[in-house]
Amino acid sequence: MTAVLRSRLGVLASHLALLAGAALTLAPFLLSVLTSLTSPQQFAAEGPLSWPDPVTGANYAQLFTRYEFVTPVVVTAQVVLVILVGQLVFSVFAAYAFARLEFPGRDALFWVYLATLMVPQAVTIIPLYSMMTAVGLRNTFWALVLPYLFGSPYAVFLLREHFRGIPGELIDAARLDGCGTLRILRHVVVPVSKPILTTLAVITVVTHWNNFLWPLVITAGPQWRVITVATAGLQSQYNGNWTVVTAATTLAVAPLLVLFLVFQRNVVRSITITGFR
Amino acid sequence: MRGWRGRTATAYLLLAPSLFGVAVFLVLPILVVLWLALHRWDILTPSTFVGLANVVEVARDGRFLHSLVVTAVFVAFTIPAQTVLGLAAALLINRGLRGSAIYQVVLVLPWICAPLALGVVWRWILAPTDGALNTLLGTRIEWLADPALALPSVAAVSVWTQVGYVALFFVAGLRAIPPAVHEAAVLDGAGPWQRFWRITLPLLRPTTFFVLVTGVIASFQTFDAVYALTPKGGPQLSTDVVAGRIYYEAFESRAVGNAAVMALGLFVVLVVVTVVQQRWFARRTTYDLST
Repeated sequence: MTAVLRSRLGVLASHLALLAGAALTLAPFLLSVLTSLTSPQQFAAEGPLSWPDPVTGANYAQLFTRYEFVTPVVVTAQVVLVILVGQLVFSVFAAYAFARLEFPGRDALFWVYLATLMVPQAVTIIPLYSMMTAVGLRNTFWALVLPYLFGSPYAVFLLREHFRGIPGELIDAARLDGCGTLRILRHVVVPVSKPILTTLAVITVVTHWNNFLWPLVITAGPQWRVITVATAGLQSQYNGNWTVVTAATTLAVAPLLVLFLVFQRNVVRSITITGFR
Repeated sequence: MRGWRGRTATAYLLLAPSLFGVAVFLVLPILVVLWLALHRWDILTPSTFVGLANVVEVARDGRFLHSLVVTAVFVAFTIPAQTVLGLAAALLINRGLRGSAIYQVVLVLPWICAPLALGVVWRWILAPTDGALNTLLGTRIEWLADPALALPSVAAVSVWTQVGYVALFFVAGLRAIPPAVHEAAVLDGAGPWQRFWRITLPLLRPTTFFVLVTGVIASFQTFDAVYALTPKGGPQLSTDVVAGRIYYEAFESRAVGNAAVMALGLFVVLVVVTVVQQRWFARRTTYDLST
């Protein structure tokens, strides 16, 4: 066997392995989209591997009418939006203070921030529940957003690293022009930090759109149900009604897949330098 | 120009919201969980102080220990599998074949989606009679209802969601290895296998460390997908992972004090596991190419 032939075979084998991996990854998504477009009657008669004939949107229509999925989509979108704005604004504030200002207690406080990165969610969920209960916020919109609204130590950590790299002359020049801190943030710091802020925004949207345990614990009933909790409820209540259930899961993952495909360069690059959450 | 006092005031004003969040939602809960661990509370009626009775109860009732064992087995399934597969995928992607970037994005997709939603999707795929996998294989295997199969099935789904994410880090790690190192080894007559074991793997050690430590911490806390695939701890509690046990103890059995003790127990386990991993890696040499 010649060297050329051997390297050609190597390339072919690599392609095949990657193709197999991609197919295994995509198959569950494709199967559930197809099933969500199949009528329950056809699914019952022909099983899960049949092509939808005819293609029907009835499962999605049922999802929004009979199974009341409008509220979860609206609630989830509101929760994500409020958390997104809060996290970005407050994390930028805190990160700027840690990165560019000198004040007594700075290093000690930053150490506390780093330490909280190590506290797992499984540990805080029960005390947070009892705290929300104590102040009468259980099953409210604020219970869903408050624990995340004021920024995350992780975001502060990430932004601080970035803000430290901004040339001091830029900020000094703005200050000499009479800019206050808020104007410096708006007109200097934020514009030069667009890529990292975009990444952080995508990370925040993904994390909170997908959040399940906290909403499951702190809300009850249909009023403040988010999309993950609604999907779990639908699945356990109508186990076997797979055409509607796959419509729900498709609805739960599709917005993020679109978001990710739009911003994938940003996210892929930054995941590898930051480690995400 | 404002003075020192003014600048301190500005800094604390900027920090105030974030400090409030960290103090109330991250530091205070640690104190509250300690308080809860010493009290009996059923959510509906006021709590009473019981001292260490919850600790004794959790230790006597074998389910917490059982859930730790289940979680350890889960971690032992998922971490080696996702690390090896992630590294393999990264090596293939890093060959620079046409379409590599697309493969990389496709492999990451499951990781971006809600684990809960993916758990539900896989619950359907693994369903015994009208599930896609059994239909494809022409079998009627009870993937999720058979106590012997449930945990491996759940672990396999978890690996499926993580491989692309792990691969991302290895791709970045591989790109950081200077080509000159490999070229020198080729000149010295080293074959592909030798180069992998003697050069690539040792130079990837920081990446491997990061992937293992974060992977183990995340795996120890797994909940969403397990909850969707096998609710209430699965057949004969065979998939009763510790995060799920804490949840069911607090919100189904309404034994919040016991759940608080378990949460603290999990915290201790995570700290120990992380320290052990750090020690283990510190004993081994790392190579710094920047000098």
